[in-house]
Amino acid sequence: MDAVKIGILYSTTGPYGAMGRESRDGAEFAIGELRAAHGNLVQPVFIDPHGAIPEYLEGARSMLRDSDCRHIVGTITSLARKEVIPLVEKHDGLLWYMCPYEGFEANENVIYTGACPNQHLIPLFEYLLPRYGKRPYLLGANYVWGWEMNRLSRELINESGGEILGERYLPFEETAVERIVNDIEQRRPSFVLSNLIGPASYAFLKAFKLLGDRDPAFKPENCPVVSCDLTECELGEVGRGVATGQLSVASYFDSLNTPENLAFKARLAKRFGTERRISNFFASAYSAVKMCGEAILASGTDDPQIVLRRLSGAPLSTVHGDIRIDGETNHAALPFHLGRITTDNGFDIIASRPAIAADPYLTGRRKRPAPKLRIVS
Amino acid sequence: MRETPNFTGWRVTVLHRPEAATERLSRQLKLLGFHVTIQWTPLDVDELPDMILVDADQGWDNLLPWSGASAPRPVVALLGSEAPGRIAWLMEHGSCTIISKPITASAIYPALVMAVSIHTERETVRNRLLHLEERIRLRPLVHAAVQKIMAARQTDEEHAYSILRNCAMQRRLPMEQVAASIIGGAEPLPEAG
Repeated sequence: MDAVKIGILYSTTGPYGAMGRESRDGAEFAIGELRAAHGNLVQPVFIDPHGAIPEYLEGARSMLRDSDCRHIVGTITSLARKEVIPLVEKHDGLLWYMCPYEGFEANENVIYTGACPNQHLIPLFEYLLPRYGKRPYLLGANYVWGWEMNRLSRELINESGGEILGERYLPFEETAVERIVNDIEQRRPSFVLSNLIGPASYAFLKAFKLLGDRDPAFKPENCPVVSCDLTECELGEVGRGVATGQLSVASYFDSLNTPENLAFKARLAKRFGTERRISNFFASAYSAVKMCGEAILASGTDDPQIVLRRLSGAPLSTVHGDIRIDGETNHAALPFHLGRITTDNGFDIIASRPAIAADPYLTGRRKRPAPKLRIVS
Repeated sequence: MRETPNFTGWRVTVLHRPEAATERLSRQLKLLGFHVTIQWTPLDVDELPDMILVDADQGWDNLLPWSGASAPRPVVALLGSEAPGRIAWLMEHGSCTIISKPITASAIYPALVMAVSIHTERETVRNRLLHLEERIRLRPLVHAAVQKIMAARQTDEEHAYSILRNCAMQRRLPMEQVAASIIGGAEPLPEAG
């Protein structure tokens, strides 16, 4: 087999640069391991679009057209993913998307190894509502992730007979959060669901910490801030001790005590030392590049259709545990872990579920009868 | 949108020649929860699915056994052509929305959600219209009943009307129906309320 190229498309600067740097590092680490095992058969093409949509398009086009990449691992936001997909379709390539996202997509030219709502938000609410109550306050980044996560939250809360006490949106880089914090103080929700991203998220966590210091009703044990995408890699930006006690969902935490993760961390320690905490973004990018490279090598070709068929067969061993990719939806089944932030910016895992099959269109959640007779076949 | 649209268990028929493009469409429909039938023969009016997708580039009149606003199910047109005749054809057969060819996966779910919504809205409007037309048609009956009550009770038109309306409300019947029984003499005149 001739050497094949894998495009790595992550932004290391811009409002979600922390996630991008972590993802790129994970991808690089995987490439290093592939090289060590297989020589230069798999070669990376790194492009950094700096968080700018036109640069994502240009980067993806250059990978597909000029560098002969048929696989791109990358994009963090749904906005960037949606922009890149038509290009990947046009060149009949495969995009590897590994971030938690809001679901409602299942493209044949995309492999989804990040969780969708039946793998993060729904189990999160099943955990939270009996323990904290059914009156949340919803925050979101002002784009589709925030909007759709909060829309679904509203639906879940309405079904449970609860009530949404407030719903506010902030652009990634908006850090004026005082009015929102004042509103939360007055309305006194059961918990705050934060789908904020980047500086807005960090500013809110800082301001909410001060509120909890003033009024114990807003300490994390009474009114936690919960998220589906806050990871180890951003807690440094938030500040040590600021978010202690708050909750976040991921399919991977640095503190996972599994043989796969312990072995993974031992390998990482040789490269980065023992101090570095590994986030879901690092681990997921690592897994995606590893799976991609190994599937290409095992197939003897980077033809996306052949690689896809190989992937959807047997379960794949990853740092998330053995994961299975559903050939119908192209989504990975993923475990659910709920972590509580520790004083030194790690996570204690306080609840887990084994791998949950992805249901991107939430078809299985409510078996509503069809308008007419339903055929059971 | 409060409720996540869910097509689990719905039956969809794709009226299209079986080819590679319909396979991909079918895959996407299945993962949305549909039971999919692909055929290139006219629909059986007695065995209608819950939703219909039709190739509007090549569709012919009898493929969909109805015309215009009376489509009994949500219809989505699959269209590559820009020919005005084809656009007219899909509208004449009650299509609620279009999925452009070549079909991209991301176009399907939004179009289906929209088609169901538009179809429901059309049905609601159609039923309301039928209801109102019926009421207008029966208006002379109401007028005649009011005249009869006026004469019998020696009262003015407004009072007679309110007697009739109260009677209908108490019995939870449309005024037109109560009026018809009064005119027909099927029941005694209502007492003044």
